[in-house]
Amino acid sequence: MTNKTILDIKNLYANAGDKEIIKGLNLTINEGEVHAIMGPNGGGKSTLANVLSGKPGYTPTSGSVTFKGKDLFSLDVEERANEGLFLLMQYPIEIEGVAFITFLKHALNAKRTYEGQKEIDMPSFMRLVRDEANRLFINSDMLKRAINAGFSGGEKKKMETLQMAILQPTLAILDEADSGLDIDALKIVSGGINNLRDGKRAFLIITHHQDLLEQIEPDFVHVFAGGRIVKSGDKNLALQLEAEGYADFIKGEKC
Amino acid sequence: MLKLPNDIIVKETDIPSLGALRQKGKAAFLSLPSLKDEAFKYTPVQNVLTDEMFQPSSCCNHFKECACEKNKLDFEAHCFFFCDGTLHEHFHLTEGMEALPLSEALKNHEAAGHINKFDATKHPFAALNLACLEQGLFLRIEKTPSKPIMFFYQAKQQGLKNIYNVILLEKGVSAEIVEIFEGQNEAYFTNVVNEIFVAKDASLKHYKLQNEGLSAAHIAFNRAEVKSNGCYESYVFQKGGKLSRHELEICLLQESASAFLNAAYKIKGDTLVDTTTNIAHLKPFTTSEQTIKGVIDENARGVFQGKICVAKNAVHTKGYQLHKALLLSDGASVDVKPELEIFADDVKCSHGATCGDLSKDELFYLRSRGICENKAREMLTNAFLKTVFEDISNPNIKNLFENF
Repeated sequence: MTNKTILDIKNLYANAGDKEIIKGLNLTINEGEVHAIMGPNGGGKSTLANVLSGKPGYTPTSGSVTFKGKDLFSLDVEERANEGLFLLMQYPIEIEGVAFITFLKHALNAKRTYEGQKEIDMPSFMRLVRDEANRLFINSDMLKRAINAGFSGGEKKKMETLQMAILQPTLAILDEADSGLDIDALKIVSGGINNLRDGKRAFLIITHHQDLLEQIEPDFVHVFAGGRIVKSGDKNLALQLEAEGYADFIKGEKC
Repeated sequence: MLKLPNDIIVKETDIPSLGALRQKGKAAFLSLPSLKDEAFKYTPVQNVLTDEMFQPSSCCNHFKECACEKNKLDFEAHCFFFCDGTLHEHFHLTEGMEALPLSEALKNHEAAGHINKFDATKHPFAALNLACLEQGLFLRIEKTPSKPIMFFYQAKQQGLKNIYNVILLEKGVSAEIVEIFEGQNEAYFTNVVNEIFVAKDASLKHYKLQNEGLSAAHIAFNRAEVKSNGCYESYVFQKGGKLSRHELEICLLQESASAFLNAAYKIKGDTLVDTTTNIAHLKPFTTSEQTIKGVIDENARGVFQGKICVAKNAVHTKGYQLHKALLLSDGASVDVKPELEIFADDVKCSHGATCGDLSKDELFYLRSRGICENKAREMLTNAFLKTVFEDISNPNIKNLFENF
């Protein structure tokens, strides 16, 4: 049985602002697969995440991206989300005055409405959130606050993971999910992510070191340098990178 | 249109003090203000006020409908109703409170002594109000009431709604007064004066929700004198009217008196909302804090003029003022004029003003979770305003603001 293709990136070029960052990227992600993109800082890994999610200021210039058979770039930011694309952000922002619970309920109901389902009622929603929050060791006080208001880096990533668990995306892009995490938080967040691996959901993990991949075992590892994938392999490639560094690949690019 | 003193016809009355006040008002009314008047330089009242708005409002026959407003409340309150500018006397007096129609109260001298304690020549609409004095409430609160006092103002017909209220809080009393202004889409003009006296150790929480009809003009002059340890705290939310102005003049008369203003406005179309404040710190250890936030969309305009005066001997005074505006479209604008006149040396005063659009990062964050752009904008706009009402201690009243 062949798995369905979820994301298909063909010869993508994209800019961050005026600067060309992605230069001819090809990547296919099928159902259930976990892909890791590794590469040096400043290589454009986060740009890829932002282009895919539709963040203003990041513009594709040529090539194509198909998401669940649809042209990704013809969809608005919110449509991409409702189609099942989720970006776990590297630096989740704080939004004063917007209660996290209210926000998450709106987000879930937006998705349900998009899919033609009825909106969820408050008691069911609260039960759902509490269960998931317990698994992530998020206490109920944190749920009552404004979005990320006053949270530490680790707490913010837990809240991002909670949103992902509630919204149940088809493809989760994790942009440096391990940055700002201590060992305990890393275990909790990666545990939350592993819980969502169900053989169908796909993951694109963006990271620059091996720590997270020890917790979440990838099926494929890609080395990203100079705006494109320069080498692909299995999880052993990540170990090799950890031992030898990126220098050879970057040099290779320059030749 | 009533533009000059000669245009005002002062009505005859049997009550001498009422007649005297009307004459005084007429004498103080020099003309309708124009953009050349400093206090109205951003607020073109003459563009909005029309002849119909100065017609007397015909006698109200919908009191029962107005009184239904009370049923919308899900809490207990003392209620007063102004239907098309007429105060209905269908209220019963309660223990610790004296409530009389103003004209009735003027039959004894004491009430007259609490009216027009300011220079009406500097407040043309207050002068006009005095010249047309008829409707209003005289409210003396002698004991802390167990429930909030509500003023409902309903406008259903065109014309002038001229209302003058006098509110006295006696020593040590704490009270909550909520004003709710609502109206139909008619050419009417609500011209309100609230003259407030907060005695020693007394505390008034004054709330106002203004949702006048979209063709209406609303000008409210609120003046409070606060004695030692007294506190005047107000929360204002304005969103209706073609042109509205909330003016607040505070005299911190004695030591340790304080005043707080938390105001918000949310406007679109080609409406204008003006918030004008004048806080006089006359004695040492007095405090004032003002936070005003506006959300301005389409071609609407916000105006804020905020004055803080600290008298020469009023040392250890604190006076803060902040205006923040969210401009949601290219046509939206705001004029902000802070004025600090400080004659004392040892004081802490500050003022600030910001304006800008919604944060692009915040919008993206919400949209990236599937929330559509309009909803995301609404959520962020409400979040911006919400902080103004965060400190309302009475949950029932807070609810009114959050669902307004």
